[in-house]
Amino acid sequence: MSASGAKTNLHEFVVQENEQVAEGLWRMRCNTALAAELAPGQFVQVSVPADASHILRIPLSFARADARSGELDIVYAVVGEGTRRLSAMAVGQASTMVGPCGNGWWLPQDQGRALLVAGGVGLPPIFACASMLAQTGVGFDVVVGAQTASRHCVGYVDELRSMGIHEGCDCARKVVLTTDDGTLGMRGFVTQAMENLLAEHTYAQVYACGPNPMMAGVAKLSMSKDIACEVSLERMMGCGFGACSCCNVALVDGTQALCCTDGPVFDARRVQWQTR
Amino acid sequence: MADAVRMDVNLGGIHMRNPINTASGTFGNGRQFEGFYDVGATLGAITCKGVAAQPWQGNDAPRLAELPSAIMNSVGLQNPGVPAFVQTYGTYLQSVVDRGCAVICQVAGHSIDEYVRALELFEELAPFASGFELNISCPNIAKGGAAMGATPRDAAEVMRAVRPLTKRPIVVKMAPHDVAEIGRALEAEGADALSLINTIPGMAIDINTRRSRVARPTAGVSGPAIHAIAVRMVWECAQAVKIPLCGIGGVASGADAAEMILAGATAVSVGTANLTDPMAAKRVVEELEAWASQQGVSSIDELRGAFVC
Repeated sequence: MSASGAKTNLHEFVVQENEQVAEGLWRMRCNTALAAELAPGQFVQVSVPADASHILRIPLSFARADARSGELDIVYAVVGEGTRRLSAMAVGQASTMVGPCGNGWWLPQDQGRALLVAGGVGLPPIFACASMLAQTGVGFDVVVGAQTASRHCVGYVDELRSMGIHEGCDCARKVVLTTDDGTLGMRGFVTQAMENLLAEHTYAQVYACGPNPMMAGVAKLSMSKDIACEVSLERMMGCGFGACSCCNVALVDGTQALCCTDGPVFDARRVQWQTR
Repeated sequence: MADAVRMDVNLGGIHMRNPINTASGTFGNGRQFEGFYDVGATLGAITCKGVAAQPWQGNDAPRLAELPSAIMNSVGLQNPGVPAFVQTYGTYLQSVVDRGCAVICQVAGHSIDEYVRALELFEELAPFASGFELNISCPNIAKGGAAMGATPRDAAEVMRAVRPLTKRPIVVKMAPHDVAEIGRALEAEGADALSLINTIPGMAIDINTRRSRVARPTAGVSGPAIHAIAVRMVWECAQAVKIPLCGIGGVASGADAAEMILAGATAVSVGTANLTDPMAAKRVVEELEAWASQQGVSSIDELRGAFVC
């Protein structure tokens, strides 16, 4: 059973659009009945057709799931053979995905302001989180980091800026961009931008997704200020629904959780922040 | 349309409505697949994840790497211990049995004493278990596992220790080596059936970091790439023993399962394919039945060992 209440199942999808949105990043918009069952922060296990020698599905987060139209927007980094073949899927091509997988973001305990932090391909679940908060009227600021300007998804950043304004709730007060090389926005890591925001504002909740060292930094900062922090973790995955125990996450209590069914969203205080 | 072929088989006292079982560690404890299809109404048996007397945390991350037509895993038998396992899954597993599907509980240990303790707990706490699978072949734990079943003498010693503890069938999960000799030794000590093969120990090295792609230097390879090796070992073992075999290794289709049966297997487990296609085991049942019905036999048993050589 998933956070959205729907049982994990196998669904067909048809590619509607599949295009590059930034350097190394692609967006696939597909049509699937699964879109109606997904909660922000959950993920899907996508089967890429045409090469039987790659047997695992690809675990992917999504930026948007529209229950009415059945449209699902998956933003993914092309990092290996599987995602390269995913980027080659043509409009109209069909395959299957397993979902809903895992637990989505939790709403903040109180209605205080939230801080959202995305690094690289961590953007899609953070975008989905922002949409969720905007709909519930929770105010938030966003930090979006990338290595360099060409790796920023300008379209999603623009949407984050305008999000909620038309509903009159002034949800997104600040969208701060960072790049490691200073080619766009603030030069430096997202944690530096986050420190600046923490010095100026009070936040009730932090949500983060990105590379593991980034999330470790965000978690450390949040914990030092005693702010609740949720992180969406990434692991190599076998099944995606708790059958194989391959995607373990070491917790501070010495136990091993599974990223797929106990996560991918975790309370940052529970996670052992060691990187191999 | 041919007359319906009888698909039920007897795996050493474990009665199965059809020959299809699931390989331990690839099927959770069955419940994870109930959203995809009615497990209890479909499969011949399920084999649960290996469980020890005490909880084990398993190996560090990463536990998984993808290889051509295969995966390698180093999970290390993470499990909650028998009492917590029964508490969490007992009611569900009884419902699987009630729907006509056998439930095989896998027994894990680091030493003979631990196997004994785990089986004693299962015997006491798990009335739902149709039988047990003794895992003396896990390649991913530092002590016990594969080391316990590495030689005919070692394997026989474990079997001798656990045999008096239960009247229910004991299947022994074998490592992918010396299957004829070890199989004979296990048969002599009263094993009711053998399941083979466990994953094949392999290595995958990241050439940039010079480290293993999983947390330990070696890990177990499974998937379509090992199927032909598994069929050969089932054939070798079938010629060495009289007790029934459960063939395991890269089975992803009815044709793969049929090969196992022709090589001498009574039952066949679907493993890695469950992870990549959650419908795999159900599909294998259907495809195997379709194949059997084309063979002009009245029972799938007539096809067992029918390999022509």
